[in-house]
Amino acid sequence: MGGGGMPEEGGSGKKKKRSLDAVINVVPAIDLLSCCIAFLLFTAVWTQISRLQVAQLGTGAPETETTEQQKQLMVTLAMGERGFNLATSAGTSIDIPSLGRGEKGEIRFDLKSLGDQLKQLKSGFPDASSITVSAEDTVSYGDLVQVIDTCVGSGLAAVSVTGV
Amino acid sequence: MPIVTPGKRPAKRFEKSKILGGKMARGHKATNAELNVVPMVDMMTMLVIFLLQQFSSTGEVLYMQKDIKLPDARHGQMIEIAPVVAISSEQVVVTGVKVADIADLDRDSGYLNIPTLEERLRDEKKRWEFIHKSDPGSKWDGIVNIQADKTVPFRIVKRVMYSCGVAGYFNVNFAALDAGSAAAQQGLPPPAG
Repeated sequence: MGGGGMPEEGGSGKKKKRSLDAVINVVPAIDLLSCCIAFLLFTAVWTQISRLQVAQLGTGAPETETTEQQKQLMVTLAMGERGFNLATSAGTSIDIPSLGRGEKGEIRFDLKSLGDQLKQLKSGFPDASSITVSAEDTVSYGDLVQVIDTCVGSGLAAVSVTGV
Repeated sequence: MPIVTPGKRPAKRFEKSKILGGKMARGHKATNAELNVVPMVDMMTMLVIFLLQQFSSTGEVLYMQKDIKLPDARHGQMIEIAPVVAISSEQVVVTGVKVADIADLDRDSGYLNIPTLEERLRDEKKRWEFIHKSDPGSKWDGIVNIQADKTVPFRIVKRVMYSCGVAGYFNVNFAALDAGSAAAQQGLPPPAG
């Protein structure tokens, strides 16, 4: 196949063939790319850190505006060594026991069951968007963050944190 | 002195003479070697695209520290620029300045506040007010980032949060590793959902 063939010159055939390949000067492009790479390497952020916004109760912080429907349901999640206790102002109280302790002695919380319960709660009360997490002193920061993450993922985005 | 191409440069009267067997009179070989730069340009373009994807306009708000291992979170938001309270298993640091030892905090556990932390945060707030003095439109939002090791107990975090609230920082952000990047660091696929 001669897909990329040169055009044939008719007529005399003695004309000098001119090259059809244009030479592009790539040096400025390389300069620009080098500068871009240097700048981007300096400003690159390799670890993506996110934030989970929480409010704290009892420190004089301004209260967020809530509608009457939201005020009707107060959801409280107590977490400690025994596990979770999910209670609402509607009268429900659900215990989610912990899964025991891990190899290093840390508490293993049943986050999957908590997520299921919170989603069930959210489907029953679609207007509910706030939850108060009450943690014991021994609960680690890692467990607290994972519980807040589960709450946010279940649709209860306005999380308040308080001690027991 | 003019710049000449490298190579043999005989004296002018020898250049065309046959005294050296005509070696000097031979045609000059081109000394410019042509390099194929297309693969290099391709590679640089790929690098630029990759680095542009990594680019973050907010920059690095929190610096990863050796003694602080952050927990993972899947539903976190983008981090904002605010004072950072770093809590490791040994000390509490505010914007690079140590304000308390964890051992001391455990010793005087009867109190809820941490005076040195409050003082430092009040200084930060005063600085913010001074900077925004001529800008009446800006509103104090009281944001503080708490970056704690995943093993730090809540009794310490609670005291830090209380001190932040007393100093006027009532909008607390807990720092966590984005689950996608955390999985990438450990060589695992990101969690589904």
